[in-house]
Amino acid sequence: MIRQIIHKELLENLLSFRFILSLVLIILLFAVSGFVFVSKYKQQSRDYWEKTNENAEELSRQTRQLYRIAFYKQSIWREPKLLALCTEGFEKSLPNCFTFNIFDSDLPKVKGQGNFTLSNFSSIDWVFIVSVILSFLALVFTYDSISGEKEAGTMRQMLANTIPRHQVLVGKYIGVVLTIGIPLFIGLLVSLIIVVASNVAVINALDWSKILIIVLISFLYLSIFILMGMFVSSRTAYPANSMVMLLLVWVVLVILIPSFGRIISEVSGEAPNPAELERRLAEIRTDVWSNSERYGERAGNWAPNVNHPMNNPPARARLWNASANAQNKAREDYHNKMMAQALVGRNLTCYSPTVIYQRASETIASTGINHIVSLQSQIKEYQAELREYIRGEDAKDPLSLHLIFPETNSVSAWRTISHNPVDFANVPKFQERDLALGQSLKLAVWDIGLLALFNLAFFAGAFVSFLRYDVR
Amino acid sequence: MIWKIAKKEFLLNLMTFKFATGTILCMILIAIFVPILAKAYQERLNNCSENVAYNQSELRKVVVYKNITPTIYRRPSVLAIFSEGLAKQLGDSAAIKYDKVPEISGSTANHYLSIFSVFDVSLIFKIVISILALLLAYDTISGERERGTLRLIFSGTAARYQVLLGKLLAGLLVLVVDVTIAFILGLVILLCLPMVDLTASDLIDIGLMFLASLVFIATMYNLGLLFSCLARRSAVSLVLGLFVWIIFAVVIPNGSVYLATLIRPIEPEDKVNDQITALEREIGTEFVRELERSGRSFMSGRDDRSDASGGGFGNGYVRSGTEAMIHNELLQYSIRVPIQIRYANKYSEIRNNYLRGLFEQTWLADNLSRISPISLYENIMSALAGTDVAGFRQFIEAVKPYRNDIIEYMRSRTDNFSKTIFFTPCTEEEIQTRPKGDTAAPLELSDLPRFTYEADIIGILRRIAPDFAFLILGNILFFAVAFAAFVGYDVR
Repeated sequence: MIRQIIHKELLENLLSFRFILSLVLIILLFAVSGFVFVSKYKQQSRDYWEKTNENAEELSRQTRQLYRIAFYKQSIWREPKLLALCTEGFEKSLPNCFTFNIFDSDLPKVKGQGNFTLSNFSSIDWVFIVSVILSFLALVFTYDSISGEKEAGTMRQMLANTIPRHQVLVGKYIGVVLTIGIPLFIGLLVSLIIVVASNVAVINALDWSKILIIVLISFLYLSIFILMGMFVSSRTAYPANSMVMLLLVWVVLVILIPSFGRIISEVSGEAPNPAELERRLAEIRTDVWSNSERYGERAGNWAPNVNHPMNNPPARARLWNASANAQNKAREDYHNKMMAQALVGRNLTCYSPTVIYQRASETIASTGINHIVSLQSQIKEYQAELREYIRGEDAKDPLSLHLIFPETNSVSAWRTISHNPVDFANVPKFQERDLALGQSLKLAVWDIGLLALFNLAFFAGAFVSFLRYDVR
Repeated sequence: MIWKIAKKEFLLNLMTFKFATGTILCMILIAIFVPILAKAYQERLNNCSENVAYNQSELRKVVVYKNITPTIYRRPSVLAIFSEGLAKQLGDSAAIKYDKVPEISGSTANHYLSIFSVFDVSLIFKIVISILALLLAYDTISGERERGTLRLIFSGTAARYQVLLGKLLAGLLVLVVDVTIAFILGLVILLCLPMVDLTASDLIDIGLMFLASLVFIATMYNLGLLFSCLARRSAVSLVLGLFVWIIFAVVIPNGSVYLATLIRPIEPEDKVNDQITALEREIGTEFVRELERSGRSFMSGRDDRSDASGGGFGNGYVRSGTEAMIHNELLQYSIRVPIQIRYANKYSEIRNNYLRGLFEQTWLADNLSRISPISLYENIMSALAGTDVAGFRQFIEAVKPYRNDIIEYMRSRTDNFSKTIFFTPCTEEEIQTRPKGDTAAPLELSDLPRFTYEADIIGILRRIAPDFAFLILGNILFFAVAFAAFVGYDVR
């Protein structure tokens, strides 16, 4: 019996005017998203490789003397991600350049990101199309699924037969899922075909599995709106009323709440202030230098000749390292504060499924803020690795004092780090890694659970309301 | 007759479920969001006044003329609560330096916050009330046909134009009620909050915003009416209306920006920076040439110096030094500073060329998005709130002459940068007598030019006039087409 209902629903929807309109709109949008992504990705990859090669070249020039590697400020650029096709995560206005040497790292910078006088627009990626347009269509297809049939009088006839109500409900649900699934599926295919055919990148197995998960999350998300539509439809007597309710709820959930995050971020807690960071850094420097004796006798003194009695190299090294570490800590705190400020806005708006959906798919695709977080931790690991490498190479040089600290003058004049050349092939180089599927799934599991919970809640609501629905 | 139909429709609409829910939702949203937006405004205002106070206190500490490098802050606009525009995207300060002309720039605030889109009161209007207008309009004609009441109306003496005008009037009346309640509620909340201080010109701007909202809502209603006249079934007119709405609200505003970046790409910023760096290198050779021309030379001898910090705006100054040192430093400054001022203008020209590209792109994006009434409305609102690009440009343009005044002031006080007070309070006569550790008295700067900035109302009106005209044109166009369709409408 349920198959007949699905069949009927599907046919009815497929032949409707709204289906043709949505099919055209969705396929068009997905095609545009494919083309936009390809052109953007090409450009970004070109820039990325140019900048990365520049950095590697510069690094290879430093191998003439080991200590130069330690002081060379590398710039690592954020690698463009293939999965930005699914969700771009506002990466265009997030920091994209990370500069550091083995001693300290600067705050991530936003460089060369185009026109700041243009209004901040959402890129047309899958998540945008699904979260705004398709969720809207889900409501357009369900607002009259119960109340409309009641108005038309067909509900009475249907229930006059031996069909139990839950079968009707499930049948209708599956019917709408299939109806929405058709444009979504064709759209995804079109978009993927454009990307694959343009040959910009190879989609590997990991990417495929992540794409699959994002599609599944999209389904979970759309299912919420379908169930919500059926729920409201079975709570109201007229389809016009259910439309009104649903539209207003949609506006609040999909448009108002997600953008409300910024205001929440701004009013909740203190905003990190760049001037304050500068003051803090200056304080640290003053503190370290005015108490230089803390790090050993004559730590504050310096003469070019290492054997000069004024010098005390180990104390000097301790002083500089203490200063660098404290400043790094201050910068890191500041950066964490900025990140936390943005995340507060997001977390406090996650009673909207749209926010959860965006967050979950960004986590799986590791784009957006997650990308920055993982990139930063990888850079930190790399910093430590490079430091270890320099320590190891330095240990082989009997002429060196084996003191690694961030003062160029002393290190070069006193030879506290080896001045011998090294082989560039052995120098560790930075390579960004994608998170493994398990790791990103682990991060997203809460969000997926929340989406499932929303589904359950609305399904239960729709079920109970429909069981008690007055079909007269 | 028109009036009678309007009255009937008006009363019918007032009692509908959609009107009630829509209005209540609007009230709730405004009651929740306006205080929070006002709180965010207050924080921005505090930040701004802190910065201004810091500036004032630093200005009082200035010991030498080269340290007069105040930063001018643009006071955040209260009206940003209504329309945020680019307020959080663009920098709201301009540093006055003799070697750099201030230019419009991106905001330096927390980049991570750009994962959120804009939120303001106009969002409620352009999304919630515009949907409400469509919902009110979609079944005015096709719905009556379905119910069969349209036949009844025409069996009387009512002419078609009277019916349509009556319906338009009724719909507008209902929406006016909604918009007015929303505005009054917002305004009352704002007036009750202690941190918000509305001036007369703000109130005029809010009045204009109210007007713009009315015209905008009328456009959306006319659009709904048009679809109602085009379709025979109300379900079809609703679906059509919603599709067009989502294209106007989501697709066009995002798509136009993207299209503009495709059609008119901007040159990379690196290139501009390279050009400027190349020019910076020229300053050295220029300096040598000027030095030769002046026929003066550096003095040899011991050039010991002692510098002091805290000379205003975080800059230090030369406390005292040997005769040779003071002489040489003075020679440096008197030749280098005029060159730097000249070069600052050259950099600014290059920067401006680059910025012109950006503005052209933005201009194109704005024009492309003008197909959508929602974008037109957004333009008007942000122009009135002073948060559009033009508002920020005007501010920066006002700072530029002020910078010239400051430079002129420094020039006149230091005899064209050739007095020692430009960089040290220690005069040539004092070199021997001045002790090493004492502090210098700050400069008397009471006659320093002051910066005043008033938003140019006429300019704003001129900017919003075309958008207003387009909105009204849209109204007329939609109604005319609706009328044409309705004249031939089959009422059976």
